[in-house]
Amino acid sequence: MSCAAGEPCEEGGRRRRALVVLGLMGAIFIVLSVASFLDSRGQVTPVSVSYAGFDAVQGKRVFQAYNCMGCHTIVGNGAYFAPDLTKLYGRVGPAWLEAFLPSAGSWPTSTAVALQLRDAATAGEAGAASIDAYLKKYPAAAERVERRGGHMTLMPNLPLSRNEVRELIAFLKYSSAMNTEGWPPTPRVAGLAVAKAALPAAQAATVPAATATAPPSATQRGADLAQSTGCMACHSTSGERLVGPGWGELYGSDVTFTDGSSARADDAYLTQSIVDPDARVVKDYVPHVMPAYAGVLDAGQVADIVAYIRSLQGGQP
Amino acid sequence: MIRIEYQTQRLSLRFFMLMLVLFLFQTAFGLLLTGQHIDPTLLAGTLNFNVVRAEHTNLGILWVLSGFIGAILFVGPLLSKRELAAPGLIRFLFYALLAVVLWNVATQVLAEQGIAGWWLGQPLLQEGLEYLEAGRIVDVVILVGFAILCHVVWRSFPPISQWNEIHWGLGIGVLALTLVWIFGMFFVERIDLQEYFRWYVVHYWVEGVWEVIHISLVGFLLVLMFRADVKSVGFAVFWGISLVWLSGLLGNAHHYFWVGTPEFWQFWGSLFSALEPLPLIFCFWHLYLDAHQDGEPLANMPAFAFLLGSVVLEQVGAGILGFTMTFALTNVWSHGTWVTLSHAHLALFGTFGMLGIATAYYAIPLMRGVGQFDQRPGRLAFWLVFTGMLGLCFAFAIGGTVQVYVYRTLGLDWFGGEVAPAMLFAKLLVPVFGLVFTIGAGLLVYDLLTLGLRVPVPAAARPVAATGWGRRLSGWETGLWLLAMWVFGAVITLGLLSFNLRTVQDGSMLFPYLMAGIGYPGLLLTTLLFVARFLRSLAARGPAAVSDQAVGVAASLAR
Repeated sequence: MSCAAGEPCEEGGRRRRALVVLGLMGAIFIVLSVASFLDSRGQVTPVSVSYAGFDAVQGKRVFQAYNCMGCHTIVGNGAYFAPDLTKLYGRVGPAWLEAFLPSAGSWPTSTAVALQLRDAATAGEAGAASIDAYLKKYPAAAERVERRGGHMTLMPNLPLSRNEVRELIAFLKYSSAMNTEGWPPTPRVAGLAVAKAALPAAQAATVPAATATAPPSATQRGADLAQSTGCMACHSTSGERLVGPGWGELYGSDVTFTDGSSARADDAYLTQSIVDPDARVVKDYVPHVMPAYAGVLDAGQVADIVAYIRSLQGGQP
Repeated sequence: MIRIEYQTQRLSLRFFMLMLVLFLFQTAFGLLLTGQHIDPTLLAGTLNFNVVRAEHTNLGILWVLSGFIGAILFVGPLLSKRELAAPGLIRFLFYALLAVVLWNVATQVLAEQGIAGWWLGQPLLQEGLEYLEAGRIVDVVILVGFAILCHVVWRSFPPISQWNEIHWGLGIGVLALTLVWIFGMFFVERIDLQEYFRWYVVHYWVEGVWEVIHISLVGFLLVLMFRADVKSVGFAVFWGISLVWLSGLLGNAHHYFWVGTPEFWQFWGSLFSALEPLPLIFCFWHLYLDAHQDGEPLANMPAFAFLLGSVVLEQVGAGILGFTMTFALTNVWSHGTWVTLSHAHLALFGTFGMLGIATAYYAIPLMRGVGQFDQRPGRLAFWLVFTGMLGLCFAFAIGGTVQVYVYRTLGLDWFGGEVAPAMLFAKLLVPVFGLVFTIGAGLLVYDLLTLGLRVPVPAAARPVAATGWGRRLSGWETGLWLLAMWVFGAVITLGLLSFNLRTVQDGSMLFPYLMAGIGYPGLLLTTLLFVARFLRSLAARGPAAVSDQAVGVAASLAR
């Protein structure tokens, strides 16, 4: 205490009063804290949220296991490197997330999103059966598909399993339903309106050039289809494995399956792999990651894509 | 020069050395992060951004803790007037810390494969929560380490009836350090509840516990350096700590604005965390007073420079920049953007990092028995690190302001290729200042690692004229400098507030950009000039006679 001897000392009393006020503050803090988590507050809890039968709590474990917060933010906390995820589910919807997450290195095309809607559970969660209805209901998904579909993202591909994808979506469904007291603030201007208006003009300019040439070969049609369908989100044209095997060294190679059997990657095998990929799964690959394209692509289109893969033999397009 | 009276003080040396090495690694990871910000494909798939960032934040915490432990072990025997208890446990603590560092650096990489090591519902290997990325195994070892530190401090100190305020500050500080850590040791299912407890660790560590340890250590270093009176420092320590808790206890509410907790936190958080700068102003003022109670020359300039840097950057980074974004009406914009990065870097490195370095600069020459050492590398390193960090803070703040505008006003809150180009200028500025910082960090680490082991170069101290920029710094002038800093702080606050204006929301960037363009450079330049002025006026006191410090210290330690 800084009191000289002989003077009346008020320091001790002051200090005691400060400690009493501190105790009061602690009491206020405890009362506020308890009030924050009462059921009557009506805040959504992860236990009450599920997506297509998958659990949001399990999704939070996946979210933490991949340290998503190390790039993204959630409720505004995290690394500011990648977008905030709190309200993402409500904006882009489940089908877009289903298409995006397994091959995060690439933006989903509308075909890739449409493919996810063929799953009754996803369509049911989305509340839209057709791709048109879906993109109308989730304009943020439409925006991403239109402006970036088929292009590379800045996010690395993660080895997410089919279940992990759905658990993550359950978690994002939960965070999206949370009451965050008005954060993030809703913008008053549509900043994209300007950029969107400029975009169709640029696309229109490239169309006449394409029609001026001779009718495309099967290989060319296959390449275009692979691009628009979204195959290139998971498959490279070289030998490099992204999510699925690279196409460059695929045709004619020997592949071994999870059951130990093996086969030559010929037309028949590739066709089956596209139409029904889970029939035979190659060793070191996870089933249910690649969607089945039966009913999405007709036989002719599948043949075109197989022709394209054949043309890539040796890594040269 | 003080002789080392207590042999257990020497145990602090290894913690200082570890601190320096970890600091260098943290800086290197930081530099890599700036590269990944400019080119996000850099090392993508090999060493992803989130892993590098986890290493960066975790090493930041670990080296600050290592510095704290070193500082506490160094001053512990002086405060206790006897050897530290349980030197064997302290040696064990060092190896435990080393093991924690290596294990944690290794396990963070598992996030790329989504491996957390779930066992009984707890992530054993890594947890994926900002600042608390370490897995449960490391958490437990750290808890044991803190318990050892508590044991050592409490057992070494004299009986409680003889404690002064510095004893109380450190004693409660290490105990609270241990207790608060426990709140981060559970997997929480709800986002709101998890964030609620996560900020217990992060906020109460930084603004409750570390601050208390900081105040106590700064107080004691002032006693050692300036022979300040223990009783008057004790007064400052008591009221400093009380103010920290009076404002910081409810001030934690500023983390509960938007995480899913109720709206009433916005009232309490805005009100009480606006008071959080008060203890920092108090600390700042006491540093000025203690440094000017006599006009004696300063024996160890680098140590004081870093101590001054610590208190000033605490004022600017934690106090002023924290204040600008502490109100619900400004925080709604700054939250989740780079604006918060400028505050975090300046406050964390400035306040706690610089304190660790200051203590190391004070303690290492004493432990190595070096009377006169070449202070030029230390001074140069201070200026490089100091300017580098101010520059980083400027880059983050400008980038953050652009980010708020693009995210929240234009609504382009996904990286559709619009945000990164808009922030490119700031993103390029970060590695520029980062490089300046890194050079300074490298220099000071080299200097401290080899201090006393090199052949000393006799330094001819250039006399500094005690006129003009070198004249005595008066209280009035210090007050004016502080006022200038706060005026620029107010400009920054108004800039953030202006995002609420209708014109800004309709798309005009004029107000926020103008205010940020004036406020941030103004604040940071004022800070730079003030520190230059302060150090210059101290240098003008002339070269110190080395031996006369010991007498005063011994006298001031006698209660």
